[in-house]
Amino acid sequence: MRVAIAEDSVLLREGLARLLGESGFEVVAQVEDAEELLLKVRSYRPDVAIVDIRLPPTHNDEGLRAALEIREKHPSVAVLVLSQYVELGLALKLLADSAEGVGYLLKDRISDVGEFLAAVTRVANGGSALDPIIVSTLLSRQRADDPLARLTPREREVLELMASGSSNQGIADRLVITLRAVEKYVSSIFGKLGLPSTGNESRRVLAVLTFLRS
Amino acid sequence: MATAVPAEFTHAARRRVWSPVPVAAALAVTAAAASLGLALAAGSPDPVQVFLMEWVAVPYVTAGVIAWWRRPASRLGPLMVAGGLASAFSGWQLAASAGPYTFGAAFDIVPAALFLHVCLAFPDGRLRSRFEGVLVGVAYTSAVGLQLVKLALGGVDSANLVDVWRQPDLVAMVEDVQLLSLSACCLVGLGVLARRRRTLGLPRRRSIAFVIDSFAIALVMIAALFVMAAFDVPGFREVQRVTLLVVGLSPIAFLLGLLDARLARSAVGDLIVELGNEPGPQDLRDALAHALRDPSLTLAYWLPNFQTYVDVNGRPVRLPDDDTRTATLIDRDGEHVAALVHDPALDDEHQLLEGVGAAAGMSLENARLQAELRARVEELRGSRARVIDAGQKERQLLERDLHDGAQQRLIALSLRLSLLKKRLPYEPEVRQELDAARSEIALSLGELRDVARGIHPAVLSGHGLTVAVESLAAHAPLPVRLVICVEDRLSERVEVAAYYVVSESLANVAKHAHASEARVSLERRGDYLVVEIVDDGDGGADTERGSGLRGLADRVEALGGRLRVWTPLGGGTRVQAEIPCA
Repeated sequence: MRVAIAEDSVLLREGLARLLGESGFEVVAQVEDAEELLLKVRSYRPDVAIVDIRLPPTHNDEGLRAALEIREKHPSVAVLVLSQYVELGLALKLLADSAEGVGYLLKDRISDVGEFLAAVTRVANGGSALDPIIVSTLLSRQRADDPLARLTPREREVLELMASGSSNQGIADRLVITLRAVEKYVSSIFGKLGLPSTGNESRRVLAVLTFLRS
Repeated sequence: MATAVPAEFTHAARRRVWSPVPVAAALAVTAAAASLGLALAAGSPDPVQVFLMEWVAVPYVTAGVIAWWRRPASRLGPLMVAGGLASAFSGWQLAASAGPYTFGAAFDIVPAALFLHVCLAFPDGRLRSRFEGVLVGVAYTSAVGLQLVKLALGGVDSANLVDVWRQPDLVAMVEDVQLLSLSACCLVGLGVLARRRRTLGLPRRRSIAFVIDSFAIALVMIAALFVMAAFDVPGFREVQRVTLLVVGLSPIAFLLGLLDARLARSAVGDLIVELGNEPGPQDLRDALAHALRDPSLTLAYWLPNFQTYVDVNGRPVRLPDDDTRTATLIDRDGEHVAALVHDPALDDEHQLLEGVGAAAGMSLENARLQAELRARVEELRGSRARVIDAGQKERQLLERDLHDGAQQRLIALSLRLSLLKKRLPYEPEVRQELDAARSEIALSLGELRDVARGIHPAVLSGHGLTVAVESLAAHAPLPVRLVICVEDRLSERVEVAAYYVVSESLANVAKHAHASEARVSLERRGDYLVVEIVDDGDGGADTERGSGLRGLADRVEALGGRLRVWTPLGGGTRVQAEIPCA
């Protein structure tokens, strides 16, 4: 699996490259600004680009803009955006059209090596990865006439994992239950929230996100 | 730039020039009467001709004397008296005897040249350029010089006293040159007048345009008349009568103009009455504009402490330094107070400007103090905004430092620990230690993130108000309905202020209101950004202590905006900020 990394902090960039290299990924490009990233993506066509949201020169939104441009011009290249802060507004901007091959994670997640590598792989394969903080923030809101209140604790756990982009198999592994049981929970959750069920996991992320946001 | 002249100087000036006026008037009346007498004694066959001579002479002398008396400094009065006098003298050529006839004949054409001079010198008695001087010079040379040559060569009709070498053919030639050159001078003068009329200022009184028009018509008629005379065109006599009639009309237009200016001065009286009502600064301007009949009038107040002029609102203005506007400075008790910035057309109305300036002195002084107060408020507002801006810059830098420094390093460190753990052979104790260190780091990162975010919301500068407020709403512990009708990015200080209003208000709602829902709206209303946060909680919020509302109000007011809070007990709370963002 071929990866491009855009990160202006040398320490972090090298660390990421080493981690990915040692874990069987092929790091085809390590760059420190958005312009170079776009250049490298065009020539190397990696499976996934890992992009820091704040890149030189202004450290404002160069990274996000580059990510959006990659999504538009090279749909085959997945994008995983890393950020110091989790901003729901940005996640929604990134996921505006679809959640396929898109990830948005807090930088802290990198050090949870297993989870991080799983997220990179999932995104590279066309799946999604949404930082758990976004999901839990959305879930923690009080609502008048809250349909979430009708969920069982187990269903809530499944919903959280589902919203973060986990596949049914991933959820099953994580909660140590059977795939069959996960499928049952998922259809029950969709029923209780009044959402149309869908087999596509990325579309599922978007649907749940839209629901939680409203 | 005109300066208000103390009144006693003008009185003195007027006394000094009093004396020649009655003398000139008496002389003119005598000359006119003499011409009348001479013509009647000669048994002139044409009473209309006699009447027309006086028709021109009398109004010119009258208008000239009045102008001389009203505006002693202007040369126009004497010039007009001279024109009337020359006209009266030219009437003497109707006399039967050779002496008066020769004298009158010498003045035959002079009134035309003097009339051209009056036209070009109107209204202040001065010619405006070297070109005009040359033009008038040519006219005088032709009218006086060639006339004397004509007489010396035997003249036109009757015998004269200076007839030294009778040459009728030569006389006819000289006369043609004389008439055509004068005709040309009149036409060029007409062009000068036409140009001047076009450049008249907006409030230039109708009467001045009216006078210029009457001059122009007369100049055309004179030019036409002289051409007819030179080429012996039939109908000369009739045209001559009409021309004299028209030339005699222009002093009447001139007198009407003087009357108009006099009426304007009576406006000073109205102004004093109006100022008695202590008008506000804007009404003061209107009253002065009305009195000066210059709707474009603006006032500039002098602030000695700031060494600058300011407008009514205390904002610095510059006095005009080109010809399109003039500033008249108003002093009071030896101190400069203000400047009236007006149309240059008012320049030749010194008395009116002085009168208005004197009448409005006290009101202007009051308005100046108010303007000074506003300027100070403006300055204070500016410095408050600068303080907040500087603080904001500091915060932004601090956040940037944390982001690029400590936070990145901690993440890299945590990553290194993970890599280390991966390589380590299976040693549960060490691995546990490593995991504990990593969770320590994760905790620090979380705390650091909260601190950095509190210092400055990076998302705001990067992605704008809409995204930042969406994030705020998402992080709020209660459902927040967002209504955002702001398309473009706004200036940074406006975005930051709006952001803090939303974030602080939502924090208050979460802490104190016991609300089940909140609504946040951002909307452009004209030049204002209106930010509103409404909840359905307890209401009755303490707006003074602890809520941070004071700090928000400071921020919003520093930008010239306003923060209002409605918080009836049991009726929810509504916070509204209006921030100018033009």
